Amino acid sequence: MGSTTLRLYLTCIRNTLDAAMCLQNFPCQEVERHNKPEVELKTSPELLLNPVLICRNEAEKCLIETSINSLTISLKVKQADELENILTKKFLRFLSMRAEAFQVLRRKPVQGYDISFPITNYHCEEMQKQKLIDFIVQFMEDIEKEISELKMSVNTRGRLVATEFLKQFI
Amino acid sequence: MACIERSSPALKQILLKLYRAEKSIEIDHHLYEFGSVEYHIQSQATNPLVAYLSISTPPLYHGNLPNNLSPYTIEMVKGICPNLVEIEEPAREGYQLTLKLNLDQIPRNKDYVKVIEDISTVQSVIISSQLKEILCNVNSDDASQGMYKPIKLVYHPREPFFVIRQQQRIIAIFPIRFKEKFDVVIATAFFQELVDVGNSDKWVKTPPCTWSAIPPPELTGEALEDLSTNGGFVSFDISSRHIEGNRLDKTVWNLLNFNANVRYHVKSTKGFIQRRMRKRLENLVEVLHQTNSEEIEQTKQVKQQHQGRRSTKKLVRSSKHTMKKRWYTLGRKIKRISFRLKIHGFTRFRQCWFQKNSSTKYTKLE
Repeated sequence: MGSTTLRLYLTCIRNTLDAAMCLQNFPCQEVERHNKPEVELKTSPELLLNPVLICRNEAEKCLIETSINSLTISLKVKQADELENILTKKFLRFLSMRAEAFQVLRRKPVQGYDISFPITNYHCEEMQKQKLIDFIVQFMEDIEKEISELKMSVNTRGRLVATEFLKQFI
Repeated sequence: MACIERSSPALKQILLKLYRAEKSIEIDHHLYEFGSVEYHIQSQATNPLVAYLSISTPPLYHGNLPNNLSPYTIEMVKGICPNLVEIEEPAREGYQLTLKLNLDQIPRNKDYVKVIEDISTVQSVIISSQLKEILCNVNSDDASQGMYKPIKLVYHPREPFFVIRQQQRIIAIFPIRFKEKFDVVIATAFFQELVDVGNSDKWVKTPPCTWSAIPPPELTGEALEDLSTNGGFVSFDISSRHIEGNRLDKTVWNLLNFNANVRYHVKSTKGFIQRRMRKRLENLVEVLHQTNSEEIEQTKQVKQQHQGRRSTKKLVRSSKHTMKKRWYTLGRKIKRISFRLKIHGFTRFRQCWFQKNSSTKYTKLE
């Protein structure tokens, strides 16, 4: 059931990105000889499209904000308990601080979300659109798997240490 | 980890250096550990076989017990290496205990390292003996209206724990505090595992362990600063079988180092998470770069194809011109070859002959 909903969720995101990632070069209307991602500035409403919010459940959602020359994909990752919450925060912050390695990652996520991917028309020119979409969808799957594995590792380590500690009493 | 080992690493190193020195050396070292334990080691060149070790350690219990060491503690210290260690009376100024070490009594075989290590455990012996006294003796002053008052013990600064002696058991309660929320979460996960493992059938012989987020009822009436924590309270129920015979020493040492064990586990878990995140980052970036490199390769191939077409066109154009030139040259050669005999001036005669017989020439009619 969980994997089914995940598949549907990812498919919906993939199709939406496929439609949204039709970007073109558009110079800044306010400052000449400048070229800025309009989805970040939000100064010209006519250049912005309606944002799309895709929710898997109350805890997991994806916001896709599009403009003429850029789009931002913001993700909220599932956090079942405090340990998952703190691990997710730590891990995504770790990745965000190294955003230059990814090129399509934002150093600070959009408010209310855990991680954001700003994609511009230049990225679409340098990289293939389908590969970018594949990367983001794969990233979402990997993050969920990684957080689960981290949580399990922490609990397993705790159990081992507890066993060793109690052995000393015998 | 230094605080979990019984022997002091710095003290052990100095004593080994003193023992192994080929010439007699003079030593006068002051060592400080954990901010409150002080050692003073002295050895004179005139008398290299004797060294003096003075120790000052804060007492475990800051209550009614005098600052001087109890007879039980003195007995335990004497039992470290009876031939080697003598207690100097009175102790040096500022120290609770001064030991005279007869270095010539240390065996010359491989066991000398173990002997020196045993001497270096003197501080842990002092502290352990104090806790053993508390666990084994019942102090009637502590009883108040039928309830035993909690005894506050401090092994590490700012990490006190409580021991409550009841009729059938002794309860050791550890208030847990951390500076960061991340540490609290990891420690809480560890305590839950500790409680789960401790309550299983396999570990029936170990002291039962419980964790609670709120202060247990045994600590009612204690100071607020001791009861305000962010990591909850861990309690161990110690029965008589846990403090019988050899188990007393193990139980005492485990209780003294419980906080240190927890902090070490939290620190190493954080390191593990960091290493794992770094490795995952490399994998994710590798995927993206691989995608990029595939695209760059594809772009290169397309460019190469374009370049290939251009060079082919160039080749075709150049070959046409060359072919024409070759044919012309060949034609001339063939024409030359067809006339085997070469007569100078014949060409001119031939041209004139052909011109005379040419039908296209007009004759003027008269």
